[in-house]
Amino acid sequence: MSLDTAHPAGALPAGADNRVVAAGGVRSWRELPELTLPAPAVVLAHSARYALAAARHHAAYGTELLITTAGRVDPAMRDELRDTGFTLVEADGPAEVAAPTRTRRAEAGRLWLLTSGTTGRPKRVGHTLESLTTVRGRQPDRTWLCPYTPGTYAWWQVVTLSLTQPGQHLVVVEPEQLDDWPALAAAHGVDAVSGTPTFWRRALHRDPDTLARVPLRQLTLGGEPVDQAILDRLRQVFPSARVSWIYASSEVGAAVVVHDGRAGFPVEWLDRAAPDRPTLGVRDGELVVTSPYHGAGLTGPVRTGDRVEVVGDRVLITGRLDTDEINVGGSKVSAGRVRDVLTAHPRVAWARVTARRAPLLGHLVVAEVVAHGSPSPRPDPPGAPDEAALVRWCADRLPDYAVPRRIRLLPEIPVKETLKSDV
Amino acid sequence: MTELSRARIRGLMGEVMANQGKVLPDDDAAELREIGFRSLDFSELALRVEDETEEELNFDAPGLRRIATVGDVLDFLAELQRQ
Repeated sequence: MSLDTAHPAGALPAGADNRVVAAGGVRSWRELPELTLPAPAVVLAHSARYALAAARHHAAYGTELLITTAGRVDPAMRDELRDTGFTLVEADGPAEVAAPTRTRRAEAGRLWLLTSGTTGRPKRVGHTLESLTTVRGRQPDRTWLCPYTPGTYAWWQVVTLSLTQPGQHLVVVEPEQLDDWPALAAAHGVDAVSGTPTFWRRALHRDPDTLARVPLRQLTLGGEPVDQAILDRLRQVFPSARVSWIYASSEVGAAVVVHDGRAGFPVEWLDRAAPDRPTLGVRDGELVVTSPYHGAGLTGPVRTGDRVEVVGDRVLITGRLDTDEINVGGSKVSAGRVRDVLTAHPRVAWARVTARRAPLLGHLVVAEVVAHGSPSPRPDPPGAPDEAALVRWCADRLPDYAVPRRIRLLPEIPVKETLKSDV
Repeated sequence: MTELSRARIRGLMGEVMANQGKVLPDDDAAELREIGFRSLDFSELALRVEDETEEELNFDAPGLRRIATVGDVLDFLAELQRQ
């Protein structure tokens, strides 16, 4: 492997002395392992520490990189990446390398991200450290927890903040630590956490007392639809913290940031153009974003594939267009709205709402639910609502065709590597 | 495939009604319109039968034209399993 020095070499960014906690070790960005990487390279990081080392390497040398995990790159994707000139590098352990099948000149300063692949195979989206750095103003000193999978857009958001701003420290969560992150956070003085609604629901569900002991001043949610119930529950546990939610994606960057504790964003933000800010629009019920933080090659309005509804003075993002709308005998139902009704039940910790093929009407609405209570092999801990009680709860709040007709209780909130439930 | 008895289908129909806060009468001659058993309920009952038999059911509205009573529903679903 050779060191790419096409970029002015070795100049570390402003956050180089920020504290970085990974795999139990405390060090600074400056003290992370020094990697030597070919360019362009795909870094398959087996640990958070080496993913951070690769990010720092890019910040210092501008090496064309795609950072991800081995699990997100299937054999077909590996071949495709090698065919487009990338060397695949296992960043930790034995330095196993898969050489490119064709060579090309590296593009200095280019970073690649893989989309989440929710609606198909992950796509490669081009960015730079500059386009991924969306927090630029001076921030109060914080120690951030980063639970995200290395190389995702949300991971880069926290990483670029810590790399570029002094006083923004970082504690990363390895996959095996995910269920016990509040203890890790408390041990290292974490006061700011960014996670998906599923991530927060799991923490509230598993051990709310330990969670409440983490002295959080900033809570951020993103990556999935954010409903009022989860915002309210977090506000109850952390009454003096700032609770924010963010709408962002690899393709359009960070497009919406809301700090007022309410689900959705103000309707007056629609079609409001301002320099250096994304413009938000709704076309045929779909969120459309025109943003200066687009991935490379994307220009003008980008259809996000996310379904929105205007309710009163707010624009609610309810879910993916291709899965959110359920047709029950000709009546249209938003799965997201039904999910919000279920999660507003005081005994429901999490819900997933989907369509199920049914004779006569084409589809019926069905749901899976996790009740509050310690995780246990039993999906119905004491006090858990039964199917009939949940059906009645929904029937009081939804039209009859939108009421879930089968509701299955699960013992634990399911989560994927992306920290999402793919709701 | 597990074939459900008429009595078992009646039990499932009772569960559908109970989830709607209603009671399934004992009389098979009870009119569906009278007891408030609608197409949504019929579809849900089909799902419950599918869950127990692990077999997908297929039927549509024209096949239901002559179904008016509780007994008609039970006969229809019992017969459908045998097709």
